[in-house]
Amino acid sequence: MSTTQNNKNLDQSYWAIVKRQFKKNRVAVWSLRMVYVIVFIGLFADFLANDKPIYCKVNGESYFPIFKSYGVALGLTKYPPEFSNVNWQEISYESVVRTPIPYSPQNMDLKNKDYKSPFDEQDVESSRWRHFMGTDNLGRDVLAGMIHGTRTAMLVGIISMSLSVVIGIFLGALSGYYGDHGLQMSRIRFWLNIIFGLLGVYYAFGIRGYHLSQALANHLGLFLLQLLLSLIILFSFITVANVLANFLKRIPMLGKKIDVPVDILISRLIEVKVSIPTMLLILSIVAVMKSPSILMVMVIIGLTSWTGIAKYTRAELLKVRSLEFIQAAQSLGYGEWRTIFKHALPNSLSSVLVSIAFGVAGAILLESSLSFLGIGMKPEDVTWGSMLSSARGYFKAWWLAIFPGMAIFITVTIFNLLGEGLTDAMDPRQKK
Amino acid sequence: MFKYILKRLTYFIPTLVIISLITFGLSKITPGDPVKLALGNKDNGGDAGQAQEKMANEKAYYEKAENLGLNLPTFYFGLGTVAEPDTMYKIVKRSDRETLEDLTSQYGNWDKIQTYFYQIKKIELSLFDVQTDSTVFENMKEIKQKLNLLYLTSDDFDINNNLNSLLKNSSNNSKLASLHTSFLDLQKSYNDVKTNATPSKNYIPSIKWYGIKNQYHRWLLGDAPWFFGDEEPGQVKGFLRGDFGNSYLDGRPIASKLADAIPWTLMMNFISIIIGYLISIPMGVFSAVNKGNAKDRVSTIFLFILNSLPSFWIATMLVTFITTDEYGMNWFPTYGVGEVDSDMSFGEVFGIRAYHLILPVFCLTYGGIAYLSRQMRAGMLNTLGQDFIRTARAKGNTEKTVIWKHAFRNSLIPIITIFSSIFPAIIAGSFVIEFIFSIPGMGKLSLEALTARDFPMIFTVMMLSAILTLIGNLVADLMYSIVDPRISYDK
Repeated sequence: MSTTQNNKNLDQSYWAIVKRQFKKNRVAVWSLRMVYVIVFIGLFADFLANDKPIYCKVNGESYFPIFKSYGVALGLTKYPPEFSNVNWQEISYESVVRTPIPYSPQNMDLKNKDYKSPFDEQDVESSRWRHFMGTDNLGRDVLAGMIHGTRTAMLVGIISMSLSVVIGIFLGALSGYYGDHGLQMSRIRFWLNIIFGLLGVYYAFGIRGYHLSQALANHLGLFLLQLLLSLIILFSFITVANVLANFLKRIPMLGKKIDVPVDILISRLIEVKVSIPTMLLILSIVAVMKSPSILMVMVIIGLTSWTGIAKYTRAELLKVRSLEFIQAAQSLGYGEWRTIFKHALPNSLSSVLVSIAFGVAGAILLESSLSFLGIGMKPEDVTWGSMLSSARGYFKAWWLAIFPGMAIFITVTIFNLLGEGLTDAMDPRQKK
Repeated sequence: MFKYILKRLTYFIPTLVIISLITFGLSKITPGDPVKLALGNKDNGGDAGQAQEKMANEKAYYEKAENLGLNLPTFYFGLGTVAEPDTMYKIVKRSDRETLEDLTSQYGNWDKIQTYFYQIKKIELSLFDVQTDSTVFENMKEIKQKLNLLYLTSDDFDINNNLNSLLKNSSNNSKLASLHTSFLDLQKSYNDVKTNATPSKNYIPSIKWYGIKNQYHRWLLGDAPWFFGDEEPGQVKGFLRGDFGNSYLDGRPIASKLADAIPWTLMMNFISIIIGYLISIPMGVFSAVNKGNAKDRVSTIFLFILNSLPSFWIATMLVTFITTDEYGMNWFPTYGVGEVDSDMSFGEVFGIRAYHLILPVFCLTYGGIAYLSRQMRAGMLNTLGQDFIRTARAKGNTEKTVIWKHAFRNSLIPIITIFSSIFPAIIAGSFVIEFIFSIPGMGKLSLEALTARDFPMIFTVMMLSAILTLIGNLVADLMYSIVDPRISYDK
């Protein structure tokens, strides 16, 4: 009896209602399933389209070249000598299991270069080797590019959105929860934090800039180590400031409490960010970099698209912070951070979830238009945007214009539908 | 109201200052040498054959740098270390300065480093005095190359390598004997740098005050007198007085490049906005009024798909399929804005331009229509559900009056919000559409500037679009209070 009661109570929680509403929406449920498909293709792109076989047997020995390639990429192992610098398709195997598409997106099939249409006569051994979506001018398989482009799109969604969610929620929560008068600290702590913060930045990054840039040029691991060292320096400065402040605040004049105008500062920051057109900002940051890469573009998109989430979180927390359960948490003596992150934030996440769904669509669209323009692309990179832009070189190649664009369109639509579905499910007016 | 506007305008100042600092900071950490870019990226070192030519190149470089104001300190003050000299900024050549900075942050003894670097310069000039013939030709080539590398490297291993190679190349030939001794001197002074290193100096911060004669001030406010006195040659008026400087790319004044590009972007955006509003407002109202029936559902789905269609895909498809003979549908021009002669009549010019602009304007417009209609529909639905609409109906107003007079005005707020984003769009343009159709507008101009790192142009575009965004937001806020008198800014 009591368990059914419990279940019933659980069912009436906010998220259960949202879930029930969401499940009623057939379109939204289907778009969620499509998201799973996209994630699947993205995760297993290497096992769907690859020039390396999944399993092969050469000279009586068995190999798993794709797994091996992960090890090589991580620097853990090396290819055996008979596999270094080989054309994987021309090795004579004793037995072999290939991926469904036996091409990598970078593979140039020289027999089928110069734009082979999907319906053209292709110079291939059997239909197993056919280019089902045609090739581009270098003979690269379009379908393999589409599959690996899914991975890029997925990474754009994950990397840039997680960055912007972390920044957006953090800043939005601070400015919404504290407002302009919520955060008080002693005068001496405020100034010591600023002074020591600046000094910390100076010692951590200013004079170590040479070592950092040198390490970045030489080795990524070394750079991360140096970066860690810099961060430790910075944090020790800030710790020193706060320890000092604990002593000095006993002096009456220095210990006077002042308001830190968190809200004004963060709102100004948002205004500055919004005043510069995103595309222009991203392009000029890319222009500054010595060797931009797709990964960098993803990070930049994340760093420049947090304002929407910050605004939503701020507005929600403004509402939530005056509610009774927050006051209850405060009067129970919970720490500020615990109150914000365990009590206030989870109750304001619904609108953030919606903006994440739309944000993923926006980020994928932005990345593909950047790679369409060739921004941050290396010549060997293949993304949906870059394939679409290669259609501009040869108007006869309709397959290059249709397929990659279709992939962008479908992905963007799915995430937009998901966002719509979530909005509908979370709309309190529909709650029964 | 006036007080409110004034208050908002004063709020603009810190925002704009921060944006100008961001742009300026970006331009300073950009790789590449702006002076070389402005000189047309000619390689003015190394292989120059004659001493005079070399000197002339150096002179041209310094003159250009002075002309661009790059011989000034970067900012009002500089946060550095006591190891660095106050006058580091006077070393205009970027690669030299970077090498020197790197050396200083390794060894911290400026005097010795200066001596070492000066010696490289001296040796480079003395190379021209060496009588070259076939016996030393190969060696001399190697020496020149290695000496140039010394300018660029601050890594201990590389420097030693280069020095050793210099010594080796000059050791065997009597004609290079004098060079050999100077290379030995160079090695000695480098070792001097290393043995007398004072890296601890790098840990003492020092703030250097440079005053208003700096690059940032010159760019933003100019160094020409504001009210009295005449402008001297070489002085500029600065961004705030409308002097945007010259482009690094072709040396043309930025204002004139803008004047060429803005009309295209302005016209395209203007047409697309007018069409967009004309179609989307009635459409949104219509589907909100008919909520839930078949027409509404069809139009909602249609608009949703339209909204998700990436415009650069549609543009590419249109260009691929209906602008060439490949598919037998050569209906529109592929790119450009067409060529007109000065003696053509207005009608002819208009015809050519319109024919070329149909596709780009379509690509700019359809997404906007979808978005605007959806906003309009949502806003209208929201209003139609409210009590005052029921009251208006109960009073016996016709449905037409209720919708257009009572509901419509109250659902305009989202539309106004979108309207404010048009201002910056005019300056920044649409990068992708203008790129695809080769429209010589702001988007293409900015894209070119960004890929070539032409920072005076980027500065201007960024600052202008920021200013216009702020003005757009202000205009939107003022229009809210016109549309909805309940919103008032006077307290």
